[in-house]
Amino acid sequence: MMIFRRFESAIDQGIGRRKLGYLVLVLVVLFFLWFPNDASQSNYTKTVFISGFFYAIMSSSWALLAGIAGQFSFGHMAFMGIGAYAAGLIARDGITFAMLGLSIGPETISAFGAIIIGTIAAGAVGLVIGWLLLRLRAAYLALFTIAFSELFRIMMLTEYDYTGGSNGLSLRPLLQIEDVDAARQVEYYLMFGLLIVCLFALYRVANSPIGLFLRAMREDEDAASALGVNVVRYKILVFVFTSMIVGFAGAIFYSDVGSERIIPEQLEILQMSLIIAYAVIGGMESLIGAAAGAFISRYLLEAMRQVVITLPFGMTTYDGSDAFVWEPGYWRFALFGVVMVFTLRYMRNGLLYPIITWFSERDIAMKETVSRRESDDDHAARIEADDE
Amino acid sequence: MVIEDTLFILWLMVAGPLWAAVGLFVLPGINHGRAEADQFSPTTLKIAGLIGGFALGPIGVGLFFFEPALIRRTSLTLGVVLTVFISSQVLVRVIDPNFPSALWLLLAGPLWAALAAYFIPRHYRDLEADDQNALTAAALGGFAIGPLIFGLMWKTTPKINRDWMITLGALGAWQIYALFAIQNPTNPCVALPFAATYLTQQTANGVVIGCIYSLMAVGLTLIYSVQGVVSFAHGQLYMVGGYFSFYFLEHASYHLSELTGSDISVNPIWGIPVAAFIVFIMGALFERVFLKPMHEGLIERVSEYAILITFGFGFFLEYTTLAVAGPFPQKTDRFIQIRRFTLDRYHFNDEFFFGPIHIIGDRAFAMVVGIVLIFALLYFLQRSWTGRALRATSQDRQAAAVTGINPTNMNTLSFAMGSMLAAMSGAALIPIFNWVPWVGAEMVGRSYVIVVLGGLGSVPGALAGGIIVGIVEALGAGCHPDPSRGAAYKEAFALVIFALVLLLKPTGLFGREQH
Amino acid sequence: MKRITLLVSVAALLAMIAMLPLSAVQADGHCEFAEDSIKIGGLVPLSAPGAVAGGVAMSWAINRAADDINAACGVSIDSVNYAVEIVIGDSEGSPERGQAVVERFILEDEVQAVTGVYHSAVGLATMGMLDENGIPTVFSEPWNDNVSANGIMEYDGRPPRNADGVDYVFRVSPASSMVGGVVVDWLLDLGVGNVVIIAENTDYGQPAAADELARFEAAGATVTQINVELGTEDFVPILSRIQAQAETPDVIRVLVTGETSYNLTQQMAELGIAPSDDTICVTNQVAFQSEQYWQNVPDGNYCAFNRVGIIPSLFSDTAVELNAAYFEEFEDIVPSYAMASYDAVWIIADGMARAGSSSDGAAIVAAIETTDLDLSQGRYYFEYGNHNPDLPQGTPAFMWHQWPDPVVTMMQYFEQGQSSLDAAVIFPEVYQTHGSGYIAPGTSP
Repeated sequence: MMIFRRFESAIDQGIGRRKLGYLVLVLVVLFFLWFPNDASQSNYTKTVFISGFFYAIMSSSWALLAGIAGQFSFGHMAFMGIGAYAAGLIARDGITFAMLGLSIGPETISAFGAIIIGTIAAGAVGLVIGWLLLRLRAAYLALFTIAFSELFRIMMLTEYDYTGGSNGLSLRPLLQIEDVDAARQVEYYLMFGLLIVCLFALYRVANSPIGLFLRAMREDEDAASALGVNVVRYKILVFVFTSMIVGFAGAIFYSDVGSERIIPEQLEILQMSLIIAYAVIGGMESLIGAAAGAFISRYLLEAMRQVVITLPFGMTTYDGSDAFVWEPGYWRFALFGVVMVFTLRYMRNGLLYPIITWFSERDIAMKETVSRRESDDDHAARIEADDE
Repeated sequence: MVIEDTLFILWLMVAGPLWAAVGLFVLPGINHGRAEADQFSPTTLKIAGLIGGFALGPIGVGLFFFEPALIRRTSLTLGVVLTVFISSQVLVRVIDPNFPSALWLLLAGPLWAALAAYFIPRHYRDLEADDQNALTAAALGGFAIGPLIFGLMWKTTPKINRDWMITLGALGAWQIYALFAIQNPTNPCVALPFAATYLTQQTANGVVIGCIYSLMAVGLTLIYSVQGVVSFAHGQLYMVGGYFSFYFLEHASYHLSELTGSDISVNPIWGIPVAAFIVFIMGALFERVFLKPMHEGLIERVSEYAILITFGFGFFLEYTTLAVAGPFPQKTDRFIQIRRFTLDRYHFNDEFFFGPIHIIGDRAFAMVVGIVLIFALLYFLQRSWTGRALRATSQDRQAAAVTGINPTNMNTLSFAMGSMLAAMSGAALIPIFNWVPWVGAEMVGRSYVIVVLGGLGSVPGALAGGIIVGIVEALGAGCHPDPSRGAAYKEAFALVIFALVLLLKPTGLFGREQH
Repeated sequence: MKRITLLVSVAALLAMIAMLPLSAVQADGHCEFAEDSIKIGGLVPLSAPGAVAGGVAMSWAINRAADDINAACGVSIDSVNYAVEIVIGDSEGSPERGQAVVERFILEDEVQAVTGVYHSAVGLATMGMLDENGIPTVFSEPWNDNVSANGIMEYDGRPPRNADGVDYVFRVSPASSMVGGVVVDWLLDLGVGNVVIIAENTDYGQPAAADELARFEAAGATVTQINVELGTEDFVPILSRIQAQAETPDVIRVLVTGETSYNLTQQMAELGIAPSDDTICVTNQVAFQSEQYWQNVPDGNYCAFNRVGIIPSLFSDTAVELNAAYFEEFEDIVPSYAMASYDAVWIIADGMARAGSSSDGAAIVAAIETTDLDLSQGRYYFEYGNHNPDLPQGTPAFMWHQWPDPVVTMMQYFEQGQSSLDAAVIFPEVYQTHGSGYIAPGTSP
């Protein structure tokens, strides 16, 4: 502990924590940039990383929507699906306006064009849903978005003439690289670049005046409204913005970058619940925290498929082997649930929160919620009085 | 994505009327006081706006605004042309039975409903009339009778009572029924003489399964009414309830058979109290550790925390069960040895008959169990001191505390009892459906539908909601014009109703206003 | 770096759990094994949305085969004994995951052969990669017609081969056309005219339904197809609809898997729709798991089902042993995919032994092509391959590297609680055990 304190004060007097934080961030980015060049790393690890980046985008955008704006949506995966499905359908069938004699054939739409159309579609649905949700709060909002996303999934599954049902829908490949290794390399950088861009965009929104309004809205919608925050506008805005981000990421990921086809199973509530769990473990109010939470959780869930613990000092197990082999199977998800519940109860801001706070020299989440906490204390005092 | 004739239809049914409305309301207003327009009576202006807007959209409205001189002649010509054109187009399309009905159902009906739901309540508020049910009525009416609802409700602003709602709802339902009939005349729902039997059979199916669904939903509603928390672990508690019953019965049967030397199979009814007891304790413990701090002000943003923590608990339960019990389907013995109850066929004459109607025996039994338990709960809530204390806490925490009720204990009790009810319905259903660890996920979705429909917090509402959901699912799957899709969309029918109720009347059919 | 993070995190997590089930590695005294072992990858679904129950059984069978091979002193190459080591990968039933796992098999685990695969979508997505990397592969459960003959789309009378002249993918499970044909032939023999097919809307149910529908309609039968979502519990409204049809169906064919099929069959029976005097009940092959079947479908007596794999009365000694071991583990009759997976590992091991190498893919493929082994499902051989490259006109392309003899039969229970080992085989006639093509409900053969 002493050593740590000394280290801390040394840092404070030296370059300062904030700068050190930036340095660490740069190092992390550099590590990810260097990583695929490490010849000892297999394509498999890269695949795991690519999907890790994708889920990091999903988680951090959900953190903006739920953690910062307080819109507790279960429909995030569905918006991603809308982006991917719209892109796939447009690229396959084109658009025909029979009345106007106007037809845009699929061949005229490039893979990127399809992705853009997918993004716009996700944004448009986000607009409608965001508008519909204006009246609903907390649990009602969560329930409505569950219904929306289940309806969407069932439709995608049942209308197999259009969507390919459970076989899924292939999107037009974004990249056409023959060589497997080179392709994986490009996909890796593409997905990582996308993560950085999305994080930057999310960060800009969260730290702009809009971000402040969103937080105010989360804490008390009526009060925010009374203070002149245009609640309707920001609520819809945040829905449209996050929907477009996940729609875009989804359309890219399924354009043969991370996966060659989107299947309806991907839209199950279970998948959505994983994203929520990642964000909670990483920290719902911090975009970086949620992204890191998603990446690390995915990596660990993958690595824990088979756990081999090599025993030190030449020790052996009773049957003579020098390592414990444990295949946790479902236990790793059960464990994940335990971690999630305890994180929520005892480290509400996520397991990565202490690290992020330490670097940022201040208690971000605390400051915002001090006033709220005080009013809560009043409330608590009242309840205690009632109890007696 | 092929957008064929839809543009035309959209204009005919949506954009045209919209612009017509704009013309109708805007033209007389903006022309008021302008010299060149004063020669026309307001009624002329209104009619001109209506026709111009409908035929030419914004161009028509603009034209009549800038060149009022053209109003009379142009509107007359346009009116004649339009009438001929539209009637011919409509006739052409009516010959193909699928086209207009499907479009109405998918596009025009919902769009008119949305428009009516948006404008009419505002109008009511402007007139300072009671707008409590205006939203629901307007949406229902917009769906059922399209633009006519504007005439009906805008002009007269009637007081919306239950009769209104029922009439409009019935009209909408009738319309869907008629559309199904048009699309597929061999549909068993409409093909006489069997339709009466068939509809009765499906309704009976719905009622039976609906009562079973309600039991689980009642637990959810109980937790919500006292704590204000929607438990997202409810489905998993239902699932573990079934497993506890299963393992108890298996062990009990085994040991009893060992003991007596004869082959004994314990009736699954005994699994219900066992599962109830275990899950009651589980629920109480969880509440004490994770939910209690919430009420003590130790936690920020309570509603969000409640969703997440119960959700995480459910996640943990599901995977732990999967790791322990494995993915293989399990099922217990049946309650009663009667396979099905059958009402025989009656002939009224050679043409017309009624029956047979079948109800699966075990389901009927589970329905009885469900109803008995719900009424026992109602009795408990109404008559016992604890039950009254629970209700008092749900109505007013402070006032309840003043009278000596400990709200903290009531919280724990409500969560434990709610979880217990979920487990009981699990134990009541494991003889009927086979059990896998992910069985709760689908069921809990239905419970949410039921409680929202019945009104979060209302126990009789949950019963009614369960029956409604059961009937909607049965009739939806049974009457959908395409039999192959009807079955696959079974779950979706209830979800649509759910989304609509959330949007139109979040307090549900029997719920009280939020406190 | 990776190892350290993993070690630290895992150690921390492990400390949190008191229960720590350890899998013991079987050590055997009487065989001398070489230092390095032969690695075989088993790709099976072990998580939702995959068919977990199937994956668990397959994974068990693959490991069991390795244990049995090692108990017989492993694979002998140049008179050195190599132990077989199994690496199980979880496909989760998704093509994307399957590809990732195969990539890991090849690059990280460096497996020398691959077996398993339950979902056709996974088989289709992975076989190209396996082929390009020269990994001898014996699929044991995917049914899609396009699985074994690699790149069947480009097939033009020429065997599908890589640049090196080798095709690495084999299959010991039947192609779905081989299965669908038997069910339809049997029903048409019985003279059915009005068929209801209830199919799950997945990549198993939909193609199978389309195939059978085409066959029925070609024979002049009327077919109603009803699609259901996997996981549906209450089928009563749908069944009431079938009951309300103007004409009572002659047969209800269930193309739904797992617990959903049990729910459907049980409710069908409870409502008295099928099996009944008018309607034949043809349920899914999962009915062969008789313990599970009777627990979940207590009223399902007289339901027929199709069965892939050798009929119980012809079980070889290997099959009887395997069945006993399976029963001990899962308390049920061994399913065909477990048998096929078990056999596939043996086929690979035998191929390696005869090729005299565990790493020369082309040599192993050549050896597997000339397989002649009696295993749990019968005698294995491959009719068409590089050893016999000319497929006669009219022979479907999927027969390339396909075990031609998976026995597909129709079976039927005729006693309550009957073990599937005693159930009647009713079609094709050569295998009939009770001399009857269909046992009407309420009678006994």
